[in-house]
Amino acid sequence: MILVVLEHDGQRLRKGALEAISRARQLEALGPAAGVVIGENAQAVAQEAGQYLPTVYAAEVGGYTAEKWAEAAYAAVQKSGAQVVIASGGRQSRTWTARLAYKMRAGLLEDTLETRAEDGSIVATRYSYLNRVTERQRAALPVVFTAKPNTTPSAEPQGSGMVETLSVALPAGVEVLERLAEQKKGVSLTEATAVVTGGRGLGSPEAFAGVEELASVLGAAVGATRAVVDAGWRPYSEQVGQTGKTVQPGVYIALAVSGAVQHQAGMNKSKYIVAVNKDAEAPIFKIADYGVVGDVHQVLPALIEAAKKLKD
Amino acid sequence: MKFLAVIRQVPDGESRLKIEGSKVDLSGATMILDQMDEWAVEEVIRLQEKHGGESAVVALGPERFEEAIRTALAMGIDRAVHLVAEGYLDPITQAEALAEVIRAEAPTLVFTGGQQADWDSQALGPALAEALGWPVVSWTTQIELEGGTQAKALHDLDEGAERVRVALPAVFTSQQGLNEPRYPTLPGIMKAKRKELKKLPISAFSKVEVLEQSIQERSRLNKLIDGKDPMAAAHELVRLLHEEAKVI
Repeated sequence: MILVVLEHDGQRLRKGALEAISRARQLEALGPAAGVVIGENAQAVAQEAGQYLPTVYAAEVGGYTAEKWAEAAYAAVQKSGAQVVIASGGRQSRTWTARLAYKMRAGLLEDTLETRAEDGSIVATRYSYLNRVTERQRAALPVVFTAKPNTTPSAEPQGSGMVETLSVALPAGVEVLERLAEQKKGVSLTEATAVVTGGRGLGSPEAFAGVEELASVLGAAVGATRAVVDAGWRPYSEQVGQTGKTVQPGVYIALAVSGAVQHQAGMNKSKYIVAVNKDAEAPIFKIADYGVVGDVHQVLPALIEAAKKLKD
Repeated sequence: MKFLAVIRQVPDGESRLKIEGSKVDLSGATMILDQMDEWAVEEVIRLQEKHGGESAVVALGPERFEEAIRTALAMGIDRAVHLVAEGYLDPITQAEALAEVIRAEAPTLVFTGGQQADWDSQALGPALAEALGWPVVSWTTQIELEGGTQAKALHDLDEGAERVRVALPAVFTSQQGLNEPRYPTLPGIMKAKRKELKKLPISAFSKVEVLEQSIQERSRLNKLIDGKDPMAAAHELVRLLHEEAKVI
């Protein structure tokens, strides 16, 4: 049995959940799949998940803590007898899946690009060494793995499943005092197929209005470098890089970004990389497919205009 | 109180990597204390400076880790325990071995890096917390003790951040912004040579096997457009992205 832990926003399944279901279907040699929805409004979201999976457990455990999520997922593992657990990769899931893997004494495969069944093991492809090395790992069952977002086609609905309520003994230890949610505008960074990132070279937080406009014309998410978020121009949730988010969109447009190794670690696997920078020697050009050597303050408004014309 | 950091040694991100016999060969790379572990070490030293008590680092890895351990000692950590094991060990197996030593140390809290710069793993901190039966706060940017039994912390989530109160002992993982690590001073480096470093060989069996590694750099088109005429350059770029790359 395979268990998919389904990521959701309290209303609907997220794209990552549908990708994780696809991963489970790819592993059908290892048995059928069940799902579990954890958190607020789990029952309602589990109803939606029933379109994809024959059995969906719902664990209403309130707001997120790693301890609660690991405990609820473990309860679903025990109930279903799952030997493989799949979750979509993110900071939170990569925290609680480690707890879960320890509970199961399972092999943990993190942030996988591809996974397949091979003689009772799972073989996974993933990146390591700050996204510079591609490696294949193998672990015998039981296995817990996270699927890197944007690596697998979303699953299509099939049939209608049963929802079963799961009761979970809630662990103590962490009390959430305050959530500093950043208002989410537009497209989620890790799920986006296009990303427009601004660097320190933009000169001011106001100049990000142009970055936002280009992103909105292209249906892209907005990203930022470490220097920009450290300066307080943009929220940390937009940071791309080693200590921020890792993205792999179809096109990554870097505006006034020099391209330090730490930044590259978060975006070097993008399908196409575009750079605008006035310094022709900037490291970003070494990994760019297309580049404009020029002043971002002149090129960005022109880009917005040209992109608008295309979309009209 | 006792504050503990779990540290590792990794190649410097700027170092060139080589592949030898389908595995990463680190023989030519500059090895450093993992930057994210360095934040953990700095925080542990600051907690000790503020609240007194003792500090220690625990490391699990090959002999070469000693250099990174000496760096932590030179920064101001009191003493070190090195579990010596060559080769790859997955984080769950590592957590099991580390938990044994850490449980015996009975620290107030444990700090480690949010992500490892070699294996790109984020699992060691939370797996260690599970092994110890303690809570975990990952991607921590602020921590403040409330006596010896609880702490307030600010940490990053997938989107945004949250303030939590956590019961101690607990495991924390670091995030950029936590602190600015100090440089080891010359007297610090001299002192570090005489500080206690206990080595314990361990043997463990990894649950995960690394089959092969490769460096697959995508070949990039490197098409550069002169931006002297911004309008013309922008139109050319949009045309290429639409017609050639077909991504917009």
